[in-house]
Order: sequence, then C-alpha cells, then structure tokens
Amino acid sequence: MAVRTITPPKNFETTAWKWMRYSGILLIPLVWIHVLLQDVIVGVHAIDLDYVVLRWSMIGWQIYDILLLAFAFAHGMNGLRQVANDFIHDPKAQKTVAWVIFVLWLVVSAIGAIAIIASAAKHAAGA
Amino acid sequence: MSTFISSLQTTLKGYATYRGREGHLSFILHRLTGLGTLLFLIIHILDTSTVYFFPDLYEHAIALYRSTPFMLGEIALVFSVIFHGVNGLRIAYLDMWKPSGWHVESQRKSVRTTLIVSIVLWLPAAGLMSYHLLHNNFGMF
Repeated sequence: MAVRTITPPKNFETTAWKWMRYSGILLIPLVWIHVLLQDVIVGVHAIDLDYVVLRWSMIGWQIYDILLLAFAFAHGMNGLRQVANDFIHDPKAQKTVAWVIFVLWLVVSAIGAIAIIASAAKHAAGA
Repeated sequence: MSTFISSLQTTLKGYATYRGREGHLSFILHRLTGLGTLLFLIIHILDTSTVYFFPDLYEHAIALYRSTPFMLGEIALVFSVIFHGVNGLRIAYLDMWKPSGWHVESQRKSVRTTLIVSIVLWLPAAGLMSYHLLHNNFGMF
C-alpha cells in the first residue's frame, strides 16, 4: 500500500500535537515513579505534613515535583482543550474555552510552584 | 446555545454508537482515563499546596484521602495512569515512527496487547493498595 507523505503546517496545533506525544513519553517515568512511591509503596496513611515538608526540603525532590507539575498539568489541560473542541464547534466559543483553560492552567500551576519552592523555607523559619 | 446543544448531542451520539470495536474502545478509555486523572490532578495540586498556604488544612485533606471511598478511587486512578501511559506510548510510537501500524487489523492487535499489559502492571499495585486499605481501615492482616 502506498504511503502518502504530507508536510504539516508549522502552526500552534502542530506544535501542540507533538508536545502531547513527547511530554507523554517523558511523563511515563515521571508519573509512574511518583505514583508507585507515594500511592503504592508509602501509602496515604504514612503521608502527613512533616513528610511533605521533608520532601520539599530536598532540592532533588523539589526539581522532580516542579517537572511533574509543569509537564503533567500542561499535558492534561491541553488534552482537556482537545476534548472540548470535540464538543464545541463554533470557532469563537473554542477560542473562549481555550483562554479559560489557559488562565486556569496558569493560576493552578503558579499556586503549585509557589508551594513546592517556598514551603521548606517557611517551615524552617518556624512559621 | 442551541447549536452547542446539538453539537454536544452529535458528538456524544458518535461516541456511543460508533462501532469501531478495539479502536473505539481505546479512544473512549483514553479520554475517560485522561479526564479522570486531570480532575484528580487539579484537586491534588490544590490540596497539596495547603502545605504552604494553610498547613492546618492539610491534615483534613489527607484524612479524606485515607477514607475508604477515596482509597478505592485511588486504585482506579492507578489503573487510569497505567492505561493512559501504555496506550499513549502506543499512540506516540505509531504516529511518529510506525504509521503503518494504524491499519485496522494490526491496531486491533495492539489495542488488545495494551489492555493486557495495563492489567498485568496494575494487578500487583492494586493488590498492595488493597492491603493498605484492609490493614489501615478494617484492621485486617
């Protein structure tokens, strides 16, 4: 069977399409190790405030959690945008929904990033 | 608004009645597991952030995660994360390196393999999490 080769246009949707695949491959080790450690091996009964503060006092786990937050949440929110476009066909409405998703992504990512970066310093200061 | 309702109905009807067998099943499962994981992720980012913003509230959040319904949800979440990952790897591989694998017959095979691999990876995790649940919430073992 003949294979037809096309060159996709270099636009936002092409970049988003590639992003979903490359970030997805990266997320397999990132998310699976995180879930295996926290949910399966450690378990929620062994997790408390001190556990999280201790984890975030280590630069290695801070970087790990920042990567997880950045890649997993952006992957998920872009996926939500793609699902929404399946249900909403009006281009203007699609644009509005994309902006709402973008702002929500930015706000929640910022909240998470501040917590990961600043929490160890705050608890070390005795606050 | 009425055009939105009609496009909503069209899409949902397509999801429900399209008879694409394995390919259709993997499409539906990929969406459900992705959306489910995203919903959990939003809650998870916000509640874990209370460690910095409202430390007193964190213990309440973690107490909720230790309840039986949440622990059952956690077992389902782990299946979602595993299936979405294995199936996503299949999609990325076929799209970028082996597009000929999208033919109906080979795709049916790769979907079945994906499901089997996901269940095999999930079972030991589900077993260990069930042990945590029965041990901590029901005093067993």
